[in-house]
Amino acid sequence: MNSIEFPLRDRTTQNSVISTTLNELSNWSRLSSLWPLLYGTSCCFIEFASLIGSRFDFDRYGLVPRSSPRQADLILTAGTVTMKMAPSLVRLYEQMPEPKYVIAIGACTITGGMFSTDSYSTVRGVDKLIPVDVYLPGCPPKPEAVIDAITKLRKKISREIYEKQIRSQRENKNRFFTTNHKFHVGRSTQTGNYDQGFFFQPPSTSEISLTHFSNIKKRVQYPPTK
Amino acid sequence: MQGRLSAWLVKHGLIHRSLGFDYQGIETLQIKPEAWHSIAVILYVYGYNYLRSQCAYDVAPGGLLASVYHLTRIECGIDQPEEVCIKVFVQGKILGIPSIFWVWKSADFQERESYDMLGISYYNHPRLKRILMPESWIGWPLRKDYIAPNFYEIQDAH
Repeated sequence: MNSIEFPLRDRTTQNSVISTTLNELSNWSRLSSLWPLLYGTSCCFIEFASLIGSRFDFDRYGLVPRSSPRQADLILTAGTVTMKMAPSLVRLYEQMPEPKYVIAIGACTITGGMFSTDSYSTVRGVDKLIPVDVYLPGCPPKPEAVIDAITKLRKKISREIYEKQIRSQRENKNRFFTTNHKFHVGRSTQTGNYDQGFFFQPPSTSEISLTHFSNIKKRVQYPPTK
Repeated sequence: MQGRLSAWLVKHGLIHRSLGFDYQGIETLQIKPEAWHSIAVILYVYGYNYLRSQCAYDVAPGGLLASVYHLTRIECGIDQPEEVCIKVFVQGKILGIPSIFWVWKSADFQERESYDMLGISYYNHPRLKRILMPESWIGWPLRKDYIAPNFYEIQDAH
């Protein structure tokens, strides 16, 4: 019978005790509310976006897509990451509060995928920029595979011991770090102006990304904020 | 074999070279870079009011660069519009083609992409700067003599 009544309510349990540790409690609460960042750079995001819908419904895992990195625990790097996108991706990752997790979705973010042979601009694997917890191959992976990756990540989180995680992050600090490119910040040959009334002129971001790259080197592990 | 536009240009004494016809039978003309801006205006007045595409390619390593324009004459009640393909070749060192932004406005981003990928500098373009690559990028990636830099990010994954 499909009873709307919650079955546990009828049970007469008195003096019930659940024994657990604080660590497991915090792990459990963290794994059941993994909020992913809405981040997609190409076709893998189409598969990821279908998870949001009712067919694959990933809200049942407590995954609520967030548009702000400040509210996200998880980033699924869906899609090709180019050299131009790399500073933005690292910046988004840095803006997420600790503890944070990364799932590399698709062949492009693992090895560069089909762009790994002759491309001058594709980053060969997103693990050169940020530390990856789960690698999910596929071109693109099916939504079921994304759910599988999330299940594996949940298993990983459930086994986590917080002090160990901090220590390993300190040891692996140099695992993700971007070399300073020494890009020459060149001025364009001609910088005429469009009609200001019709064209929005975005502020130049080239200087910001350059200083950002050099800041990663000096980065110290900040205390957890969550 | 001379195309329709080529015959018209000859009649008015305008210098060009006919490069034959492509696989769809569209006339292809070569025009000198220094004459291109005035001929573009003339073609616009002639009736080519639609720039269908602008692209560029590298002919040979260290050699000529080509900028290609596909023009169409859009008129009411015509199901087979007149089309023409214009190629402008520049030497790798000189690299100057007049921008046709002021004739066909849609050339704006496409000329910027040709500049970004092949380093053809279109003079009189309102804002000629990189559109796809980072602005600090050195080199022209789609040139045949381009050597990709060995950045850490671009090295093969383990």
